[in-house]
Amino acid sequence: MDDKYKFIDFLGLRFNVANCLSALVVALLVFILVFALSRKVTMKPGKAQNVLEWMIDFTNSIVKSAFPGESGNRFSLYAFVLFLFIFISNQLGLILQVKVDGFTYLKSPTANPIVTMSLALVSLLLAHYYSVRKFGFGGYIANFARPVSFLTPVNLLEEFTNFLTLSLRLYGNIFAGEVLLALIGTVAKSFGAVSFVVAIPLEMIWQGFSVFIGAIQAYVFTTLSMVYISRKMTKE
Amino acid sequence: MAGILVLGAGKLALGDMLFILISFILLTWAVKHFAWGPVTKMMDARSDKITSDLDYADSERASAEKLKKEREDALKNSRAEAIEIVNKAKDNGDEQKKTIVSQAHSEAESVRQKAKSDAEKAKQDAMNEAQNDIANLSLEIASKVISKELNADDQKSLIDSYIKELTVNNETK
Repeated sequence: MDDKYKFIDFLGLRFNVANCLSALVVALLVFILVFALSRKVTMKPGKAQNVLEWMIDFTNSIVKSAFPGESGNRFSLYAFVLFLFIFISNQLGLILQVKVDGFTYLKSPTANPIVTMSLALVSLLLAHYYSVRKFGFGGYIANFARPVSFLTPVNLLEEFTNFLTLSLRLYGNIFAGEVLLALIGTVAKSFGAVSFVVAIPLEMIWQGFSVFIGAIQAYVFTTLSMVYISRKMTKE
Repeated sequence: MAGILVLGAGKLALGDMLFILISFILLTWAVKHFAWGPVTKMMDARSDKITSDLDYADSERASAEKLKKEREDALKNSRAEAIEIVNKAKDNGDEQKKTIVSQAHSEAESVRQKAKSDAEKAKQDAMNEAQNDIANLSLEIASKVISKELNADDQKSLIDSYIKELTVNNETK
């Protein structure tokens, strides 16, 4: 879409106000949610604690399915935060989009490739870091020549495709969802009351579907992150 | 504050990456500190508790089963013991009965023996006494008879009776 953004140049770096603000809002929302749910932690869980434990069990099961045995336990927290962050990010743009004077200030942060690339970068950096830590730098390099040495270029290429597919899949899904939402919004405004009435159910349907897509994409992103980390930590 | 620029595209907003990385790391830290830590600790504690409770229940059940077995054994043993005691008592009673009966038999025998000998002795005594009495009586009679005058007829009949007696005795020999 022809969204316009405000940029701030600071210390030679360029900041997109919409992205930063949205990410901040999402981070705060995640924190508030988790904080509110974890107030009374007891041996016999109450309602709030049950919800939180259900979410933790959910992300833990993602981690468990990717890692053999107990080796993935140290990534449980990362998976939990990553999942919640992406999930809330995906939903934020469906509920709230703020535009002032044509400039977007608030939307889904994951509808921007820079944000999804940042998240994918975190996952893949973790994968490479733990691979080096486990096998040593020599072992880490040698792992690129597995299972046979002539596959080394493919393995190297795979690192880039992993990064791009991981980030762009999420970006594409959420961005497309928001584009369609905005399109339906313009339809609603085009012919006055008649089109407004027609557009409302369409918007509702698409919002519901986008909630579903957002949840699925958060799940996919978290699962793939864990799989990439796990694969870097095993010898093929 | 740097100047605010309005740009559609162009320079990559690398600052966003930095901002998101920092905010993500801060968020992770905050979540860990305020929620993840306590909750997972509690979850671990709960799973430990459940495991230990299950183990405890298992061991309790095992010990209860053992106790039950012991009790059953004891019950079985006590029954056998009771039977043994009763049998012993019965045997003892039989033996005692036998000895009492035999003792009674022998006693009765001795009493009978004694009574018999007593009777014999009494009889003997009575006979002796009677013999004496008869002797005395006959002596008295004889003296009385002798004191009476013996006439010829009497003498004759006396002699006859003697002779008769002698002949009877000879005939029988």
